[in-house]
Amino acid sequence: MKGQYAALLAAAAALLVLPLGLTDFWIFIAIEVLAFALYAVSFNVLLGYGGMLSFGHAAFFGVGGYTAALVARQSAVAPELAFACLPVIAMLVSAAAALVIGFFAVRRSGIYFAMLTFAFQMLLYTIALKATPLTGGDDGLTGLKPPGALAQPLPYYYFALLMAGAGLYVLHCVVNSPFGYMLRALRASALRVQHLGVNVRAHRLAAFVVSGAFAGLAGAIFALSNGNIFPGWLDWTASATPVVMAVLGGTASFLGPALGAAVYVVLEVLISGRTEYWPLAMGVIIVILILLMPEGLTGLWRVARRAGIRAAPLPTREAR
Amino acid sequence: MQSPVVLARQTLAGVSNGMLLFLISAGLSLIFGVLRILNFAHGALFMFGALIAVSIAGMIPDPLAGFAAALAGGAAGLALLGGAIESGLLRRVYRAPHEMQLLLTFALVFILGDAAKLIWGREEHSISMPQMLAGSARAFGLVFPLYRLFLIAAGMVVAAGLWLMLYRTRWGIFIRAATMDREMLAALGVNTRRLFTAVFMLGAALAGLGGALAAPVVAVGPGLHVQVLIDGFVVVVIGGLGSVLGAFVASLLVGLVNAFGVLAFPGLAVVLTFACMAIVLVVRPRGLLGTAE
Repeated sequence: MKGQYAALLAAAAALLVLPLGLTDFWIFIAIEVLAFALYAVSFNVLLGYGGMLSFGHAAFFGVGGYTAALVARQSAVAPELAFACLPVIAMLVSAAAALVIGFFAVRRSGIYFAMLTFAFQMLLYTIALKATPLTGGDDGLTGLKPPGALAQPLPYYYFALLMAGAGLYVLHCVVNSPFGYMLRALRASALRVQHLGVNVRAHRLAAFVVSGAFAGLAGAIFALSNGNIFPGWLDWTASATPVVMAVLGGTASFLGPALGAAVYVVLEVLISGRTEYWPLAMGVIIVILILLMPEGLTGLWRVARRAGIRAAPLPTREAR
Repeated sequence: MQSPVVLARQTLAGVSNGMLLFLISAGLSLIFGVLRILNFAHGALFMFGALIAVSIAGMIPDPLAGFAAALAGGAAGLALLGGAIESGLLRRVYRAPHEMQLLLTFALVFILGDAAKLIWGREEHSISMPQMLAGSARAFGLVFPLYRLFLIAAGMVVAAGLWLMLYRTRWGIFIRAATMDREMLAALGVNTRRLFTAVFMLGAALAGLGGALAAPVVAVGPGLHVQVLIDGFVVVVIGGLGSVLGAFVASLLVGLVNAFGVLAFPGLAVVLTFACMAIVLVVRPRGLLGTAE
């Protein structure tokens, strides 16, 4: 455990000094990494801990983003005050969306849960596209920026770091609380947990709402850095993004998805800068990932450790 | 109140689009029922069928022969592509968790989508329908485009063929048994490996045939697969995953809801189909004709 704290402190120190050596462009990318790291970890609280595959998590990232955009564009109160309340508002609105969607979705499990969440994300996508007075329709909402000094990349980076760090800390507390252990038990055997007298649906719904709230916070952080938000954030291709990040990093560890998010975002910048066929490249990367390293980057050292004993099998559904 | 002319036209459009939806959703449903994999790439397979049809129709000067060859080529080409995908990729993840299976078919969407752009370019193509199907028929004082009637007939033929295959042949028994209990079927000595490949090839061929049939009435280009996939998903959820009959009923339903939704709420037809799906999921979560999980 001592070693883990040391590693964590070193990582935090590195994140604090990192942007000082970066150009503005790469600071933007670093902010994107922070937002997507929180997004991927919030998604993995459902998948890695609760065994719930949400294939519509972009819905909450998008709701958080649109909420942030609307708050940033309003003119009723001072921008500074609005901005101070923004993280809380974004989380509350996303949590409300997750409560409504989750109410229907947690009735089913497995692939049916995935399809339901996917369907609701598509519904929100259509709303984002058609509710032009609110969302700007196809054109989206543009020209967003945080007030005052935070409009500069470097201060905003530290704001994003603070928000993502706080979010990750809270999520870490959640998964290591009794509630978090209940989630692990649900993943192992929902039937058994139910027979112990636990309200399975309520636990699933609570996890869904918490996860959705932090995905919304991540969306809000990214929207104001990005400056624009479009319905594309809720498009069907967006639903795979957190899944790819989580699997890339490894769903079995808490911070694995954050690592996956960093690698994914940097790969996207590097590859899409060179070719317009980024989707093709990503498709090939996903196929390689699934066939050759299904436990993700953080799983590599576990695989290496037991390589002497036996070849690493694909994790089976039974084993989860 | 709409005039009878408009009602008849929209009914015809709804039913014929429903038949195209059936060709997609039947394969999607069969593949889910037997392989237990939700194939996100099914829309892309449909698009490939349409693109192959465009290429073949462009190579043969005689329109009627070209059209027939395009249909056959779309279906056969996709059967081959489906066989390659199943034996090369999907076979490796049958025992893997859901997210791996979903991501794999999702990756295929990206790969096939970009491959289509590399092979056929970014512009939209179309093929002309053969002369004998290009006109329209008159009955009861109304005008019906012949190609729409042809689509309905083709859908009916495929549906009847599928029914005969599923309920009157040995392979059909295997397929129905596999949707109930794959392990038991394998334990009884059936080569499920070959069955899975065959079912995926069949599903892909149906999608390819659907794409080829749709080629004269849609803009064939990048992006075609998206709406097709979403509609296909809505259909199988409403009809019940794994049920071909459910896919048939739900296809007609969604086709008609789309056709009349455009009249009643222009621009919001998509919301209407999603609303249908939400209602079905709340009232009857397994779908109209699906069996329990």
